[in-house]
Amino acid sequence: MPKKILIITTNHSSYPGADAVGQARMGYSANTYVIRVPDPVMFPEDFYLNAYDKGIAGIIIMSSGSDCPYEGAYERLSKRVARVYEKMRARGIAANRLKLTTICTVCRAAFLKEISEMEKAVAAI
Amino acid sequence: MRELEKIEVDTLVVGSGIAGLQAALDLADQGYSVAIVEKAPSIGGKMISLSKVFPTLDCASCITTPRMASVSHHPRIKTLTYSTVDAIKREGKTFTASVTRKPRYIDEKECISCKRCEEVCPVYLPDEYEQGLGAKKTISIPFTNAIPQLPVMHPEHCIRCGACARACPKDCIEFLQEPAPVEIKAKAVILATGYETTPMTAKKQYGLGKLPNVISPMAAERLLAPHGPYGRVLRPSDGMVPGSIAYVQCAGSRDKSIGVPYCSRVCCMYAIKQAILLSGSLPIADITIYYMDIRAFGKGYEQFYNNARAMGINFVKAKVARITEDEKHNPILRIERQEGDSAPAEVKHELVVLSQGLLPGCDVSKFNLGAGLNDFGFVQLSDETVSSAVTAGAGVFAAGVVKGPRDIPDSVVDAGSAAMEAASYIRKL
Amino acid sequence: MDEKITEASSKDNYRQEPKVGVYVCHCGGNISDIIDVKAVAAALAKYPGVAVAREYAFMCSSNGQDLIAEDIKNLGINRTVVAACSPSLHELTFRNVLQRAGVNPYLHEHINIREQASWVHKADHAGATAKAIKLAQAGVEKVLRKDPLNAIRVAAEPRVAVIGGGVAGMRAALSAAGKGLEAVIIEKAPRLGGKLLELGKMYPSGEEGPAIAGKLEALVRADKKITVHTGADIDFVGGFVGNFKINFKNADGTSSQVKAGAIIMATGYQHYKPAQGEFGYGEDANVVTLPEFISLMKNSPAGRLEYSGKEIKSLALIHCVGSRQVEGIHKPQADGKINDYCSRVCCSSALYAANQVKDKYPGVRIYDVYRDIRTYGMQHEEYYDKASKDGVLFLRHNEADQPVVTSDRTGHTVKVKDVLTWGEELEVKADLIVLVTGMMPADISLIRSQMKMPVGADRFLQEVHLKLRPVEMANSGVFIAGTAQYPMDVPEAMAAAGTAAAKAAILLAEPDIPLEPFVAVVDEHKCTGCGLCPAECSYDGALMMSEKNGKKIAVVNPALCKGCGACVAVCPTRAINVAGWTLDQFDAMVEAIAKE
Repeated sequence: MPKKILIITTNHSSYPGADAVGQARMGYSANTYVIRVPDPVMFPEDFYLNAYDKGIAGIIIMSSGSDCPYEGAYERLSKRVARVYEKMRARGIAANRLKLTTICTVCRAAFLKEISEMEKAVAAI
Repeated sequence: MRELEKIEVDTLVVGSGIAGLQAALDLADQGYSVAIVEKAPSIGGKMISLSKVFPTLDCASCITTPRMASVSHHPRIKTLTYSTVDAIKREGKTFTASVTRKPRYIDEKECISCKRCEEVCPVYLPDEYEQGLGAKKTISIPFTNAIPQLPVMHPEHCIRCGACARACPKDCIEFLQEPAPVEIKAKAVILATGYETTPMTAKKQYGLGKLPNVISPMAAERLLAPHGPYGRVLRPSDGMVPGSIAYVQCAGSRDKSIGVPYCSRVCCMYAIKQAILLSGSLPIADITIYYMDIRAFGKGYEQFYNNARAMGINFVKAKVARITEDEKHNPILRIERQEGDSAPAEVKHELVVLSQGLLPGCDVSKFNLGAGLNDFGFVQLSDETVSSAVTAGAGVFAAGVVKGPRDIPDSVVDAGSAAMEAASYIRKL
Repeated sequence: MDEKITEASSKDNYRQEPKVGVYVCHCGGNISDIIDVKAVAAALAKYPGVAVAREYAFMCSSNGQDLIAEDIKNLGINRTVVAACSPSLHELTFRNVLQRAGVNPYLHEHINIREQASWVHKADHAGATAKAIKLAQAGVEKVLRKDPLNAIRVAAEPRVAVIGGGVAGMRAALSAAGKGLEAVIIEKAPRLGGKLLELGKMYPSGEEGPAIAGKLEALVRADKKITVHTGADIDFVGGFVGNFKINFKNADGTSSQVKAGAIIMATGYQHYKPAQGEFGYGEDANVVTLPEFISLMKNSPAGRLEYSGKEIKSLALIHCVGSRQVEGIHKPQADGKINDYCSRVCCSSALYAANQVKDKYPGVRIYDVYRDIRTYGMQHEEYYDKASKDGVLFLRHNEADQPVVTSDRTGHTVKVKDVLTWGEELEVKADLIVLVTGMMPADISLIRSQMKMPVGADRFLQEVHLKLRPVEMANSGVFIAGTAQYPMDVPEAMAAAGTAAAKAAILLAEPDIPLEPFVAVVDEHKCTGCGLCPAECSYDGALMMSEKNGKKIAVVNPALCKGCGACVAVCPTRAINVAGWTLDQFDAMVEAIAKE
């Protein structure tokens, strides 16, 4: 089985961004699984660690960044992700298996770039 | 002609740019029914083709798309795209608009937006959405986030090869489709017909639009958009990454010689914004803005201007008298500085953006609705110190740039008040 | 907006045993040419919880929709998963199918196997098929854990309270009343009209301030839907969307209360008051502000511009006093901040005033000392043109070279390093110095602190988003009209006030305000009362600790919660979730995706 990449997207911007990649018929590998949420700030640190335990190889959090409709959510999310990194280090999970980034509704190239970087990271596991 | 379609609503909104969309939503959310008519194949107006918007630098598409989706899904809003308002007649308290749905040459109800027709079509055309910088197919969906996601065929370029018809899984290509007449009855009309930019050909001194590396700000928007024609900033003549870029301010405003003596309000800010975006994507490029006065008057604008200066963008108080080019199509600007050394000088840049001004998008006087126009063709209000939307024509309201240049925040605010005036008017009928 | 489902579903679906129907769309080859849709349906048919799995050419067609409706009727399907195109195109279509068939529309999960699978994995049919199966299985796991959702409704006072009776407040009240809403204006001054009462002739109409205010006041007084309280001193503002209370003392010492479903803040501005000695202000009587000059002009006799009994033969206007201030050059205000914003209206006001002087007293010499002339409006550029033509002399300086005003027995001198004459240090003599002062927000600290209303770095009331929600505050149900938000002229204030009224009218369009159901929900049995979650919440009053049946628990106010889920992440017992987007759903989805 190929190594699986979980992509967490937002209703507001990165999920439509992923659609824009499809509408432009650009391609990327099929081991990628997009889920969407109002805001990734809802996930506790354990959510990410459990996902690795379950067998997910890499996680890309595609937030709305400065376009985030929720007050203070992006700052909270980035702090939380920093704590996830600490816990990953403690467990010996390579830091490049988690990435927090910002993807807009038409950021097609950036979307593909994030996936290809994560592909490299999970290939090295 | 196809059979006459009849629509009856509370309000007709002409134009679906950000002002029209917002006016329609603000009415429909209060419980009124709305028909919105747009001449382009997608709603969204000018704003949907912009890159990022000042002063917050949020992505224009991210802000416009949700509004477009809300309008197109709204149970009380009927959206007619690729349709023209040919005439509006007032009969008592009712307006009757004659509208023509232009043929897209596809069955709009059956189409599943799969773009197979577009994939197989062999004929390429310049893409006006990309300001001519890219190409599109003769049958194509106008752009990525267009709403509705329906292709349009341009029969004047079609070679009748039939590839699209064979590829369509729903058999919905209709080569013989005809225009369809629609009659819309409404109690009130909101004019939100927006703007066009002053033409690139307006000024002989600036090359009449013939210099390849002197481009329009709309073209620059596309170069800067994350989903733009090249995916990066390249200059048109030779695809080179420009190392030195200049903005010529007031290139279509505050200029009696082209009949636009007024300030177009948005050009200082869009130039600053584009300069900021350019310095992000081309960190080593030299960016200069030649200006008379920087008009950063809105909320957060002065700080935005200060940020641009702190980023190293050059602001030069100077008038640009003439633009020519060298043999490599590098534009040469003859400038007269207003500070420092005043001797006229020639400066070479690799790409120049003419900060064009705004003209009325449509001559609304053709509808004979009683709404007066000012000297420049913008709608005049009855008394702008009492209401920002009431025109001299009873039941006729105006939203956004149709009344004169204004930026996106001002247009959005403006639209709400037009909706409110229309709502009060309908209630009192 | 499109997420709003206003009518509750008739059946209480979640008490029934879940029966999931899975529907895989071919999209006429768009999906099925790449993804083996038959294999997807077959794999899903065997998946736990799935009662039926089908594939069909076009699920969105009326035949496709009927397929689902029939299964709901005949097989008792009570949850659906549709694997097709992007939810942005057809999620609502399928929710409506459920609703029409009597199933709560939120018991639907839309899986995107077109834009995010078949269209992007063209070269990998097996991979795309495996992915579609996983995504559909994850969808089943999610929908099995969904609860029916219904719009939450809050009863609302059918009334708008407008704080401030200047032109923006009056326009907002008129617009709200025009829609049929009751509007109450609460004004602290004894008269309606606000700052305009102090001003003389104004652009663009040339009417005097009080006359403009008078036109609106006449309309307000004639409108039976509007109640006016003047001389009202507000001492309390509280409550939340739909149910605000405003207490105030009347001029006669009695107290009143207004209950309102929405509040419009039309609290206006104050003129920037130059610091003692700023360009000689307060020390030299012949240094005045622009508003002071406009009144002076009003009271001047015809044929002679007069101030303190003396004729004024020359004057100098200095722009950007109290605006566009620069760190290190300008002294900070009392709160330690500088006014680094542009006050928007002063250039046009100053030139309009200069033109009046030239019209009435053509002999008066006028110097205009500026940095940038910002006559941005349609007619405003004409003021600039006319002033230039009529001989107003413009001197332009850079921000670092501030003009200097000195006075001695011979008069007043403005020293300017003028860039228009290539940086020459020029000295001009003037009988009167007019400081073109900007706007600052009115002092509304009491209301702001009681309501915890956000302000920007410029101290003006802060909107949620300049373009998406330009007159709404983060406090649900509170809207901004006019110069309380930022400097603007009268026509601009009319637009802002009309829009604030529109937002209030939308909010109060029905007796009950329907709220999004996607808000935080607390499981009282699981909540241990640890108190961690309220600290994560950015929305004041949305999430608080409270006592219930002797137990300390977290309580959500759905009228204030925005559903971001920041609280969810910190709950140690998973007692709090965003309705429709629970952690259990996501855990199960990840489990399904990760499984070999």
